[in-house]
Amino acid sequence: MIAATAGLVLGACTAPDSDSRSAESLPWSEVEEQARGQTVSLWMYGGDEQGNAYVDDVLAPAAADEGITLRRVPVESTTDAVNRILTERQAGVTDGEVDLVWVNGANFGTGKQAGAWLCDWTQNLPNMQYTDPDDSLLNNDFGTPVDRCESPWHKAQFTLVYNADAIEDPPSTFEEVLEWAQANPGRFTYPAPPDFTGSVFIREALVSTSGGIDKVPAQFDRETYDRLAPVLFDRLNELAPSLWREGTTYPQSSAELDDLYAGGQLDMTMTYGPATLPELVSGGTFPPNTRVLTLDEGTVGNASFLAIPSTSGQSAAAQMVANLALSPEQQLIKSRPDVWGQFTVLDLERLTPDYRQQFEGIPASPVVPSYQELSAGAHPELSAEWVTPLDEGWRRNVLAGQ
Amino acid sequence: MKSATVATGRGTVWVLPALVLVVLVVGGGVFTAALQSLGLMPLVGEPALSFDAYTALGDDLWRSLALTLSLATVSTALAAMIGLATALSALSGSRAPLVAAGLTVTVPHLIGAAAMGLLLADSGLLPRILGSTDGSWPELVGGRWWIAVVVEYAWKESAFVAIVLAGTLATRVAAFDETAATLGAGRWARLRLVTLPLVRPALIASTAIAFAYTVGSYEVARILGRPYPEPLSIMAVRLFTSIDLAARPQAAAAAMVATTLTVVVAVVAVHFLRRSAIWR
Repeated sequence: MIAATAGLVLGACTAPDSDSRSAESLPWSEVEEQARGQTVSLWMYGGDEQGNAYVDDVLAPAAADEGITLRRVPVESTTDAVNRILTERQAGVTDGEVDLVWVNGANFGTGKQAGAWLCDWTQNLPNMQYTDPDDSLLNNDFGTPVDRCESPWHKAQFTLVYNADAIEDPPSTFEEVLEWAQANPGRFTYPAPPDFTGSVFIREALVSTSGGIDKVPAQFDRETYDRLAPVLFDRLNELAPSLWREGTTYPQSSAELDDLYAGGQLDMTMTYGPATLPELVSGGTFPPNTRVLTLDEGTVGNASFLAIPSTSGQSAAAQMVANLALSPEQQLIKSRPDVWGQFTVLDLERLTPDYRQQFEGIPASPVVPSYQELSAGAHPELSAEWVTPLDEGWRRNVLAGQ
Repeated sequence: MKSATVATGRGTVWVLPALVLVVLVVGGGVFTAALQSLGLMPLVGEPALSFDAYTALGDDLWRSLALTLSLATVSTALAAMIGLATALSALSGSRAPLVAAGLTVTVPHLIGAAAMGLLLADSGLLPRILGSTDGSWPELVGGRWWIAVVVEYAWKESAFVAIVLAGTLATRVAAFDETAATLGAGRWARLRLVTLPLVRPALIASTAIAFAYTVGSYEVARILGRPYPEPLSIMAVRLFTSIDLAARPQAAAAAMVATTLTVVVAVVAVHFLRRSAIWR
């Protein structure tokens, strides 16, 4: 603690350079050799119990078989891990606390901008051969080129969720959802950005009020923002009086939103991880007739990744764990709804017929349709540069505006 | 006189290890935050002295300061009154409130806030028991008046104040109080002329600590509050963890304003303590 503080004070007047570090180019067998006996600290969002159980009970034992100790470090938000790495970089640490991070989007982009990630290593992972090299979800992370600085782990799809007992005739487009909310005052709301889910909702609303994904350029520019954002904020302000508590305030997190839905105060909630829904319904937390709302125009999809910080001293073992997590065997177990239900990043065409059959045979749940159905018409995330201006703009114009 | 000086000197030596640690950690943290808020320690780019971080927050900074000050003042005032009443009730023989205070002090604020949330939120236990989950429940959690937040602070900090005051009452006041009683002083006169002046220093010190804690505390307002306006501590954390690296100096600026507020309150408290009889 003292050393860290002293380091911060001494390093006070120099900003670290922002060049990323490249991994040493070694044959895979040598990486395996180096990795044996190392301990990898995987920092990941700790609020998903199925995810925690998968890492502890499935992935960690598999890593142990390779001679690697995998330690899961739960964090409230991935930003905590990125901040930790940035602070370590500032203090010149070379064997930091973080060896692997479950990351995507703005956290990845920010870290990349500050040189926080180890790059040029994912092409060496043997299991990369099972992914599609032209898959745009895996090559661009919220518009930031991945550039071999992170290895794919899951795919996800943003979904609205509703209680079929309360809504007999569910809306089928995003605009209809907003109209439904206005027709049923007090039964709908969304988390306040910068909450991750709330932030996605705002971007989906932007796509809708702008007239479709084709009308919103993925790359941010101020002029387009100034043209599209006022329409979005006007629409959300128009919606506000019909929201929970007349839109005078908003839930601070998606967990708070889920609580309100679970308690019957709301008829809709939303999530970027529909995989957890069957468990929430069967456990009695969510109403029994909870259903995923598929929209005609599709929703936003993304992939999430494992990244190695440039401050990690255990990068060989971290690469081994990333490779292991990408193996058909692990991806298959992980995608089972009773394990974690995370959609695979692998290209089924590239797998052995045996694995392909098993992936196709994963039972769909009545709550959540298959990934194919869920991702129909899906669009990619806007670039990370959109996130902060929209979140801040919403804060100023919608939250503080009333 | 000389032996007193020696004793003071020895006392200073004993607290030195703790003092050095606190000065290094807190002083280092405050110094770093000051540098960051003035643009002298950017994450990317060249350091340059500027007050941009303070001005960029605009009215929101003042709104947050006003909210922080109101929350801390109201909850500390409640805590002082309830704490004093609890300690005095112990003096008059009833121990139960003091036992309750002793138990309360051991509960971390995080747990306290989570429990308040489970109890008082719209989907909480109380509205469920009382059957008012249809929207008729008052906005205690996340409401305009921050009621759940104030209740949590007042509850937890009143226990702290009560324990500190009860300690003072037990050691000195009881004897003085009995003496005054034998000299014919009535209940009210004893309270006004003996008890209150004697507990005053402890009351000032404990409420100042409670106030400073409330200003710096994050979790209670985060769990039980609303997203706008926000207390300074929440503003600082939100900006610090923002994905926009340029927001970090603003986070440090919010933290510096909160620190200044705490220092001002500490200085005022020490000023009043110095004027009280016990100090001399």
